[in-house]
Amino acid sequence: MPHAWKKLLGGLAALLASGAAIGWLYGRPEVGLLIAALGALGWQVYKLLAFDRALRTQDFEAFRFGDGIWEQIFARFAFHSERSKSHKLRYRQLLKEIRKSTDAMPDGAVVIDNENEIVMCNKAAKLLAGLRPKKDRGQRVDNILRDPELTKLLRSGDSERSIDIASPVRVGDWLNCRVVPYGADQKMLVLRDVTERLRLNKMRRDFVANASHELRSPLTVISGYLDSLADEDGLSEWRMPITQMQSQARRMNMIISELLELSRLESAGRAGTANLVDVAALVAATRKAFASRPGEAEIRTESDPDLKIRGNVTQIESVITNLVSNAMRHTDPDGSITVRWEAHRGGAALIVEDTGEGIAAEHIPRITERFFRVDRGRSRDDGGVGLGLAIVKHILSRHDAVLSIESVVGEGSTFRCEFPRSRVVTDAAAPRSARA
Amino acid sequence: MQASTLGDHISRRFNKDLEDVRNNVLAMGGLVEAQLSRAILAIVSGDSELGLKVANDDYKVNKLEVGIDEECSRILATRSPAASDLRLIVAIIKTITDLERIGDEAEKIGFLASQLAAMDRPSDSYRELKYLGNHVAEMLRSAMNAFARLDVDAALEVVKEDDRVDEEYDAITRQCITFMMEDPRSIRRFMNVTWAARSLERIGDHAKNICEYVIYMVQGRDIRHTETLEHFDPAAD
Repeated sequence: MPHAWKKLLGGLAALLASGAAIGWLYGRPEVGLLIAALGALGWQVYKLLAFDRALRTQDFEAFRFGDGIWEQIFARFAFHSERSKSHKLRYRQLLKEIRKSTDAMPDGAVVIDNENEIVMCNKAAKLLAGLRPKKDRGQRVDNILRDPELTKLLRSGDSERSIDIASPVRVGDWLNCRVVPYGADQKMLVLRDVTERLRLNKMRRDFVANASHELRSPLTVISGYLDSLADEDGLSEWRMPITQMQSQARRMNMIISELLELSRLESAGRAGTANLVDVAALVAATRKAFASRPGEAEIRTESDPDLKIRGNVTQIESVITNLVSNAMRHTDPDGSITVRWEAHRGGAALIVEDTGEGIAAEHIPRITERFFRVDRGRSRDDGGVGLGLAIVKHILSRHDAVLSIESVVGEGSTFRCEFPRSRVVTDAAAPRSARA
Repeated sequence: MQASTLGDHISRRFNKDLEDVRNNVLAMGGLVEAQLSRAILAIVSGDSELGLKVANDDYKVNKLEVGIDEECSRILATRSPAASDLRLIVAIIKTITDLERIGDEAEKIGFLASQLAAMDRPSDSYRELKYLGNHVAEMLRSAMNAFARLDVDAALEVVKEDDRVDEEYDAITRQCITFMMEDPRSIRRFMNVTWAARSLERIGDHAKNICEYVIYMVQGRDIRHTETLEHFDPAAD
């Protein structure tokens, strides 16, 4: 038992006993006991009221020293309040540090709850997007940043996708927005200034387009003179070099056209959905174009003529030609190439399969890069420019489609272009049964 | 006890209804803002495809207007709102009309952009239209921000800004007239420029109207058609 308890209980017992004893001397012990009990009660009530007043006035002089129960209670109370005060101070310090560090971040960060209401945002969010850290708390973020694309992104809750929106504060600036899960039931909207990146990208695109364009005219002159030189008689010792120069000039011309094609694709938006593309017919035409060449692998086609997609005819044709000619170059004459056009997971897929040399797994992720070559040592005169797959990839992304590549070295490769359901049209006019 | 929880529940649903319709208005505002900025981009960059796309997308704005209108009528009929709730609904009904008109003007600008793209382009690619357009787009953005934040001061700023838009519009008209007199063959083109400027100026007026509704919504005071704005004190009352 603590000392203060012992003192309190002992004192109480002694008081009651002495009251009873004095009362017994006068022959009325119960009256003595009663007076003693009332006295004890009065004393405690007095102490209680004094303690309450001390709490109110914060003047604890009367309770500071001593070892009675009230002094003990005060000591414990003071200890706890002192400790919580220092905790509070520490937390405030910590909060200040956190706020300072979030304000120092160059990216805007907006913490939002399930209803997209702003819980907190940093200084960068104010500078980039015009949010007000204090005033906009509780306001829905899509009520302030009203870009329809951003609203769509917030609604989808997709943390993988990011979109670019025009900055509402600085005209001409662009913000990359991304929504990431944050804590329980919260999300964080991260805003990053990508103006510079977009500008550089545009500069690079413009440079490639302009450079290719500028290279084209001198090249036309060179090939023109080469052609007339080739027709000239009496230059028999120059026959070989001239033929080689001609073929290299043709190659350069091809590279330039493909570079121009790529930069056109890059600056174009999504392919329109107004036109229907008859992929089966394009596949058949491509097969005819390639089949006339002797000494090359055989092409087989299996296509569903009822399956059509919405998009750009020349671009889809370019995809097929590029994939088939690519397969041609990497397949031996005794191998075979299969082109399939079929329904696939609700959408449709164009599959080009070859029995060629295959691609090693480590090269597959890089194979659609411009001018990427699996084998640096391999001669460049196999006819490829190194831009075909890059073009394919760009065209497919303009059609919301994805390119997947599977390959086993020595056995062959499969290039699969998967078109989403939204782009696919099944021709109802020709019933499926009639085809078989 | 039972009745009071029920009452609380109903008023919470009411709150949610009001909040939803307010959010829809701001979403509509966002769409209109996007339409306007795309229309301006179409003019400045001479992108006829984008211009036509803007013109074709106007139905989305109209659809939102009809939906919000219906929602407002429903709230009026079933909840009989009073005081600030009533002012909110009235302001919303008026705001969406102006937003829809702005959408129509953006549609016009998009269509004009597609026509202008087919004609000769000036060396400055319609810089003055770009300035006026950006100015008006900024006004609309501030107006919708004032609506979202119920910010009377910001709304008042926009109302005052409208005079400057009018001045810019005058300057463009005068410039166009000069060009037309210099070279009558360019009249067709500059008529289109004038129409686009006119549409932008009208958008400025609609943005101003929206701000006046914001002030009405927050303070219950109608400042329309008053010429004493200089003496208007937002802190009064």
